[in-house]
Amino acid sequence: METAELTNNTSSISAQQRKRKHNLTCYSFILPNFLGFAIFTLIPMVFSLVLAFLHWDGANKISFAGLDNFKQLLEDDTFRIALLNTFYYVIGTVPLTMLVSLGLALLLNQPLVGRNFFRTAYFFPYVASLVAVAVVWNMLFYPAAGPVNEFLRMLGVTEPPRWSASVDWAMPTVIMASVWRYMGYYMVIYLAALQGIPSQLYEAAALDGANGWQRFRYITLPMLAPATFFISIMLTITSFKVFDLIMVMTNGGPGRATNVLVLHTYNIAFRQFRFGYSSAIAMVLFLIVLIITIVQFRMEDRWVDYQ
Amino acid sequence: MKRNLRLFTLIVVLVILATGCTAPPAAPDTSELEAQVADLQAQLEAASDDEAMAELEAQIADLQTQLDAAEEAAAAAAEAAAAEEAAPEPVTLTMAIWDQETTPYWQVLADAYQAQNPNVTIELLDTASAEYIDKVNVMLSGGDETDIITIKDIPQYSGLLERGQIVPLTSLIADAGIDTSVYSGAVEELTYEGEVYALPFRSDIWILYYNKDVFDAAGLDYPANDITWDEFDQLAREVTSGSGADKIYGAHFHTWRSCVQLGTVQDGLNTVISDDYSFMKPMYDMVIGMQQDGIIMDYGELRAGSIHYRGVFENGQIAMLPMGSWLIGTLIDAKATGEMDFEWGIGQYPHPDGVEAGTTAGTLTSLAINSNSKNKEAAWDFIQFYTGIEGAKVLAGTGNLPAIRTPEVLDVFASVEGMPEGTKEALQTTTVRLELPMDPNVSVVEQILNEEHELIMTGSVSVDQGIEEMTTRINEALSE
Repeated sequence: METAELTNNTSSISAQQRKRKHNLTCYSFILPNFLGFAIFTLIPMVFSLVLAFLHWDGANKISFAGLDNFKQLLEDDTFRIALLNTFYYVIGTVPLTMLVSLGLALLLNQPLVGRNFFRTAYFFPYVASLVAVAVVWNMLFYPAAGPVNEFLRMLGVTEPPRWSASVDWAMPTVIMASVWRYMGYYMVIYLAALQGIPSQLYEAAALDGANGWQRFRYITLPMLAPATFFISIMLTITSFKVFDLIMVMTNGGPGRATNVLVLHTYNIAFRQFRFGYSSAIAMVLFLIVLIITIVQFRMEDRWVDYQ
Repeated sequence: MKRNLRLFTLIVVLVILATGCTAPPAAPDTSELEAQVADLQAQLEAASDDEAMAELEAQIADLQTQLDAAEEAAAAAAEAAAAEEAAPEPVTLTMAIWDQETTPYWQVLADAYQAQNPNVTIELLDTASAEYIDKVNVMLSGGDETDIITIKDIPQYSGLLERGQIVPLTSLIADAGIDTSVYSGAVEELTYEGEVYALPFRSDIWILYYNKDVFDAAGLDYPANDITWDEFDQLAREVTSGSGADKIYGAHFHTWRSCVQLGTVQDGLNTVISDDYSFMKPMYDMVIGMQQDGIIMDYGELRAGSIHYRGVFENGQIAMLPMGSWLIGTLIDAKATGEMDFEWGIGQYPHPDGVEAGTTAGTLTSLAINSNSKNKEAAWDFIQFYTGIEGAKVLAGTGNLPAIRTPEVLDVFASVEGMPEGTKEALQTTTVRLELPMDPNVSVVEQILNEEHELIMTGSVSVDQGIEEMTTRINEALSE
């Protein structure tokens, strides 16, 4: 009896110890990564949150601003323009990129000669240097003698758009460049999802007499829903954060036609040195992305089915 | 045995130290000798007989040689003391610059200074020109210790001094006894609330470059030194020819705001910080007119294609190019390497009607000391060289215009190989206006001006609309 109790005791202690040891091991594996995250992301984020309520030019004394920075948002018409432009960009980019990448994935999922080559070719813009991409796009859309406009003239368009040199066409030009750049990446995600759809579903549907469209509509699309959900969230977030492409292609111009929130934040912070105000703009962007992501997650149940 | 050896070494070291520390032999007092000579000379004048005179003269000669020797010894001693004082403690100075590869003078000037000061190493911190100001701003906000900051333009300067990131130099300039008048007013332009934070080493003015071959082919005279903007417009229209790929444009306005707006502030009645921009209308009307008539390349295309003014001029596509004098050195190189195969000339910048010829706009490139620098003294010494007459001569020798323009410096500049004729006349200025005035709001104003300039030049808004927007937006921004 006694011995049995003893062994029982020791085993429970050692189980506790083992658990603690196990946890420690796990934490020590997480630690290096977490340290990097804390130093380079978490602390700056918290600092930025605090900054939104301060006046600071990066060198002189910091003073408390209260809600001044947020009040200024209402008066700053460049902020208003940048906010609208950001939505314009997101609404233009997200659906278009999803459609194009889904289309490409469906095409390249077919038994096609040289499909690996095409898959690589479409993925290539994603890994190419962004500055090179921007320069090439500006060349393609060069208003006077660029290939795109030459082609349009050949088709009989007498006055083709002036693309990035025009207030009306600058944003569509940037959106097209962005779609072209990111379609390959999302195509790969769709391809992976497509390959995960069991072929017996299609076989059963074919037996039931479903045509191609019906198979796509009632099998492929629902089965792709988790991937679509993931892609829509990732794309929305990256699109709200757009900065580099615009900085290199148009620098927000002509005028303020392609000025977006992150570019405005950058200009306020690093050209005008109003770190407090720029943090307030960044905070607004953060809230917008947060709200949209929450809404997306709420709506997830309605159309995403993890089977 | 070992111990003895150690003792011996110790003694040797002590002896060396002792001899090294002893003061240099005291030089004989020269003033005493001088007094003796003077005394004897007085006696000589007073003496009457030849013999006494001869004797006295001999004495004087003897003393004179003693005096000379003493003076020599004193000089040698002083030199030795100076050498000891300058005990070459190695210093490394870092300097923020841009476009090192295409701008040879950074290295040339650094080398010239290092040759004089072997203990100093100059490290150049290179950045692409377009990102230079942003990068330095970010660096300094992060507490960077780069010693010497090159100031590219006035907005950068006013930003740095407002944030206290550069050191005031006024008292140092006074202590060093630097005569700031040699900078012909540039130092006054850099003075803010009684303090100067940078000294200019380079000062560029806007001039007119032209392609002589184009004018020869058209049978026209080269642009005169004294032309108004209207005459410039007329001339550009006359010299425009061809079409398609062979088209030669009469003139060229680069995409910078300043290319158009400088002509509007030449009369000195307005600066680019204003509460009413209607004074810019005539110039914009002229440039837009030229653009619509195909006399100059289209702004939107220049921007979309990131087309550099240098390329189109070197390719012989344009007849006249109003541009800063910084291009001179580049064109000399291009001509020497054969990249550019035509004759070129320079003339004075065109001016508005009723403004004196030789009135132009200019930019200053200056040096300042970072407040975080650990080598402020060495940096100041370097800046004195760089911005002083010696630096100016070295800089002029590379085909760049120094801030100090004495006749001597300009001679060096004009005699650079490949310098076009008439350089000295073209660089004659009556008034030089600063491209941007010193003002704490200058960077905010400049951004708005840039945006509206883009809208006007791309034809997105009319000239009147654009100018109206400039006025309202800038008034709003400045009232905040």
